[in-house]
Amino acid sequence: MNWFNFFPLIMVVTLVIMGLYVVLFKKNLIKMIMGIAIIQNGANLFLVSLAYREGYVAPIWTSAPATDMVLPTPHALTLTSIVIGVATTALMLSFVIMLKKHYGSINSDDARRCRE
Amino acid sequence: MALVAYLFYQMGESSYKKTRLKGDPFISGNRPSKDPRDIHVGGDNLYWGFTHALRKYLDPLVEGHTGIVNDYVYWFVVTLAFVLVFLYLLI
Amino acid sequence: MNVDLLLQSPVFILGIPLLFAFLTPLADKVSKELRNAVFIIGLLLTALFVSLMAYEVYTIGSWTYVFGAEDPTAITDVSFFRITFLADGFAVLATLTIIITAVGVGIYSFGNMKDFDDLGKFYTLFLLTLAGVMGMVLTSDLFNLFVWFEVTSIASCGLIAYHNERGESVEAALKYMIISVIAGLLLLFSIGFFYGEYGVLNYFLIRDSMDGAFIDILAIGLVMVILSMKASSVPMHMWAPDAYSEAPDSITPFIAITSLGSLFVLFRLIFFVFRGAVEPSSIGNLLIILGVLSMFVGVSMALKQSDVKRLIAYLSVSQIGYMMMAVGVGFATLGTADYGAFGVNAVEGGFFHMINDGVYKALLFLSVGGIIYAADTRDLNRLGGLAHSMPFTTFFFIIGGLSIAGIPPLSGFSSKLLIYKSVYLYNPVLAIIALVVSIVTLALIGKIFFNAFLGPDQKIGMKIPRSMILSMGVLTVIIVIFSLFPNYVVSEIIAPAIEALGVAV
Repeated sequence: MNWFNFFPLIMVVTLVIMGLYVVLFKKNLIKMIMGIAIIQNGANLFLVSLAYREGYVAPIWTSAPATDMVLPTPHALTLTSIVIGVATTALMLSFVIMLKKHYGSINSDDARRCRE
Repeated sequence: MALVAYLFYQMGESSYKKTRLKGDPFISGNRPSKDPRDIHVGGDNLYWGFTHALRKYLDPLVEGHTGIVNDYVYWFVVTLAFVLVFLYLLI
Repeated sequence: MNVDLLLQSPVFILGIPLLFAFLTPLADKVSKELRNAVFIIGLLLTALFVSLMAYEVYTIGSWTYVFGAEDPTAITDVSFFRITFLADGFAVLATLTIIITAVGVGIYSFGNMKDFDDLGKFYTLFLLTLAGVMGMVLTSDLFNLFVWFEVTSIASCGLIAYHNERGESVEAALKYMIISVIAGLLLLFSIGFFYGEYGVLNYFLIRDSMDGAFIDILAIGLVMVILSMKASSVPMHMWAPDAYSEAPDSITPFIAITSLGSLFVLFRLIFFVFRGAVEPSSIGNLLIILGVLSMFVGVSMALKQSDVKRLIAYLSVSQIGYMMMAVGVGFATLGTADYGAFGVNAVEGGFFHMINDGVYKALLFLSVGGIIYAADTRDLNRLGGLAHSMPFTTFFFIIGGLSIAGIPPLSGFSSKLLIYKSVYLYNPVLAIIALVVSIVTLALIGKIFFNAFLGPDQKIGMKIPRSMILSMGVLTVIIVIFSLFPNYVVSEIIAPAIEALGVAV
């Protein structure tokens, strides 16, 4: 095992920290949603890198070589997560559009009529 | 018994003088207004003394609820850090 | 009745709302009456299958439903690599709590929302949220939990933003969406930790292989924070008052039910899955800290509110604190002699309070919705004198309000008494805090009652539809039943739930 095996995990940590930084410190709502998308990519990369097993093949039965296959659960999870991610991002962006129409701003400092 | 009570009631009833202010709500001696909305003490005026006495505790709490979505995420991350440190130290 | 159908009931509890969710917009094309009929039939069928599942669990015991297997109820070697549902006492408790509120809210929506068009989509989102919460409490697979978690988030955000002609509704929905999407992604990370360490995602297999390593602690911490956020525990409660106050009046209790649902999931996970791998006092004390904070901060913030729905939203945050504290005390004493002495009573009190809370909070929010429908304002400074024109709503509000404050004859008292008694033996300070919070809650209910209902008639009331009265009446009857037979509820509903979690004495 060399350090290269940890490369995906290092990337995951980098992506999550970048995304969290954007969500915490950027006031532009569109940028915040972009930050969430970055965290999401980190999560997907994490799951895919967990699923990798050296020397294993993809679990497709048709004319597969007689070696071990990886468990497809993390891949299914990643696909689900990507689909859900698209849905949530679209919903959030449409909320931002409506917010812009009502408040005339996409700054999170202005979107605070509900407070206290 | 009931008869005696009724007699007492009648004595009071006969001496009742129908003046204008009797039976009206009393608000700090001011002449009550005709609008029912002014007579009803409600909303923020209720428990005013209680919240005013606790203002040193309540005001920072209210200030903390900024309504900015970044702060919501901030508290989420802070709690996450606290919980992880707490569990790590105790387990 | 065919026995196989009864054993399949967990699937129908999910499948019927999902099917009817997409039938309602189709029926809406035909006529409004058909749409309403389809919606209520879907809701009542779900309720029927919940009661069938309850009947089956209480007569023949719990079972695991395996999706995609030849015999769904048989456990084989590969069963736990499939998606499994767990039908046991705890699932019955959770689904009962959810369905009671859902039926109440559904009937209420007919009257409350009748002035709005485009209701086909409204009912679609409603049934999708119902399916999501049911899936969250029934599933016994982390992957599946994530899916239902996101379904619940998306559908309930759509419901919150239903009045999108108002900017505040959209704002509340966006805030809730952002924080719950981040929570969902972190849930994905914790699932990844579990998968990476054990290669399995089923509750049973994780429970059997957990060893309390560092990664486990990371994953447990993530899951706990995420689910407490969904349950609106302080200091992650700030979305709750926004969402509760800006959602349509009929939907507000339903958003509160998604919170209760995630609390059920949290308790299922810590008792059923994480129990063996961790030191009980650590998670227990964490729950107690979060619970006490929720109780205290929630009720303090409620003191400063002049918006009636925000006020009750903060009260509901403080009620969540009771459950977390009580169950935390139960968990902290797990494995010691104290658990048999009072810990199990604390857990009973916490679970009983959850089912009570679901009902009386729904009644409170719905009666307040009646006030708002009649007077067209949420501002306590402008309300007043509504008892003259709305005697029924006044009565229902009194029942709900006295129940949330824990006044003796009502159901809230029975569960709070169990909590006080058991928590006092763990640490008297906790019981004193709980009592103080209860008193302040009563004072705040008095404030709403005085402001909105008492005072001279301001002639601002208008008649509210009959279906709203009916749904509040149904919930009141359920509260009265719980109040009259608390012993029966504890022994017949709560005790099997505790037994299902494997922590019965």
